[in-house]
Amino acid sequence: MATAIEPTGASRPAEQAGLWSDAWARLRANRIAMVGLAFIALLILIAIFGPWLTPYDFLTQNLDARNLPPSMSHWLGTDELGRDVASRVIYGTRTAFLVAIVVTAISVVIGSTLGAIAGYFGGRADAVIMWFTDVFMSVPNLLLVIVINTSLKPPLGRWMDAMYLWSGNTLFRNTVLVDFIMVFGTISLVMWPPYARTVRAQILSVRSQPYVLAARSLGLPSRQIILRYLIPNSIGPLVVAVSAGLGGAMVLESAFSFLGVGVQPPTPSWGLMISDGLRTWQQYPHLLAAPAIALAIASVAFSFIGDGLNDALNPKGAK
Amino acid sequence: MLTYALKRLLLWIPSVVLVLLAVYALAFYGAGDPIKLIFLREPGGVAFDPVRIEAIREAAGLNRPFIVQFGNYIWNVLHGDFGNSLTSGRSVGRTIAAAAPVSIQLGLLAIVLTAIVAIPLGVIAALRQNTALDYAILGSALFLWAIPAYVAGPILMVLLIIILPGGSVPYGWGGLFDIRVILPLLVLSFHPIALIVRQTRSAVIEVLSEDFVRTAKAKGLPARKIVTRHILRPILTPVLTQLGLIMITLVNGAVFVELVFGLPGLGRLAIQALLNSDYPIILAVTLIASVLVMISNLLIDLAYPLLDPRAAERR
Repeated sequence: MATAIEPTGASRPAEQAGLWSDAWARLRANRIAMVGLAFIALLILIAIFGPWLTPYDFLTQNLDARNLPPSMSHWLGTDELGRDVASRVIYGTRTAFLVAIVVTAISVVIGSTLGAIAGYFGGRADAVIMWFTDVFMSVPNLLLVIVINTSLKPPLGRWMDAMYLWSGNTLFRNTVLVDFIMVFGTISLVMWPPYARTVRAQILSVRSQPYVLAARSLGLPSRQIILRYLIPNSIGPLVVAVSAGLGGAMVLESAFSFLGVGVQPPTPSWGLMISDGLRTWQQYPHLLAAPAIALAIASVAFSFIGDGLNDALNPKGAK
Repeated sequence: MLTYALKRLLLWIPSVVLVLLAVYALAFYGAGDPIKLIFLREPGGVAFDPVRIEAIREAAGLNRPFIVQFGNYIWNVLHGDFGNSLTSGRSVGRTIAAAAPVSIQLGLLAIVLTAIVAIPLGVIAALRQNTALDYAILGSALFLWAIPAYVAGPILMVLLIIILPGGSVPYGWGGLFDIRVILPLLVLSFHPIALIVRQTRSAVIEVLSEDFVRTAKAKGLPARKIVTRHILRPILTPVLTQLGLIMITLVNGAVFVELVFGLPGLGRLAIQALLNSDYPIILAVTLIASVLVMISNLLIDLAYPLLDPRAAERR
């Protein structure tokens, strides 16, 4: 999309500037993308310094101060157990970013490996991998996650119990760990196919470039051609996909938590808070509004950045 | 054309079988013993009588190998038998037949609304590219895309209750012509509309730079005719490719919209089944939804050569 490309002379970098500084200059000229970037930077700071920003613990209940409206002592009020909502939203930011980053890392590795193999080798490998990707994409992701969660979570729990009895390591008693393994695993599973498609399409177009032919005729092994030439040259669209994917993973985490197949209470998550807030929104709208607005800001900000990056990295596509 | 259609169909069948196999295997190995699941639900804690369990297992064919049971399941599904619900004991097929019309009607209506609203908006945004109007349309699309259905639903509901007198709550299902259908329909259409507005806009921008549009302008055709004659047709293909994605957003959206607005459709059925670990229902809903998405993908594949004869030659 060509939302706010401004190819003014002033923002044009010097001729010797590389792809990335060039793209950064274009991105900086894009006001919408910069607004998105500013909001994400703010949220990341909140996620990192969260514990020092709030005087309350996200778990501490105060039954004398339940469902309070926003005030000076509780910026966003308190919930039905007297927990400080601002603290829970801040800790929810941590959960959201943790899930988004880990899930995106896992699914980019899976997706780009499969996509690179399919695109580079072509033929039967390409046909099988892409068929598999297509089939994966045609299962509605919400239902897939529900199926996986209902069928794999109990066995995983049993396995953790068995491992605890066998090894005595208390790590295996940690139910929060089970939750997060399930969340990382299921969301990664539904997030990798777009990356596979993006990387494959890119590799297909780069593969036929003369410099790849030259490298091949010099006798470079496939692995080196992929790592040195194909992946670096196909990274632009992947960066765009990643910025969209980070927002997507965040929204999925809160969606699954909302439905009860994601992060489990009492770990704070925006989706969980929204689902709690829905029960009493008539009397206490702030309980619904606070996490919903936080989620909306993060999600809008990520799509602003994604669109800006798309314009900045594909100047030919933006007219 | 016929060989092409047959080829697509032959590729389609293994895909459906793969989905069936994956989902069935997950339930088969992950869910645990279905007989114990049934017994656990019986009131009064019926004792686990090993002889009785073995007898039921034998009768239901649950001691046979996985592949035989999977074959049986497919055979039964082909005959419309999805087994019985673990919670209600009623036939899954009937339960789904009762819920499906709600979701299907709402989904079809959302597709119609999307086509009516999103395609014109996308065309307008492209024709007025980089003006305030373009930014307003694109910005709203981006906003609609970013707001999850389970946030938009409750917020719209709150606003409506504040505006509307009498405290009437738009909750429940009264058919397509009931006033309560408006809010769920809107929320369900948000994502598809956002998707199609953006898709249409970039497709039109691409077509606008084509030679035949310049020729049409040069020979003095009015703008309205250029759009209807020369632009709408070539953008049909790229916009239609999004149908598969739209089906997925509709299935996902249906889950939340039906939950928030209390509609007795497939989405709510899936969530209730999830809460009760009612595998036969989860399995059946997932299968139906996936097959629905795959059918729409197949239809798009088959429609390509009809819409764009060049695509048929390229394949």
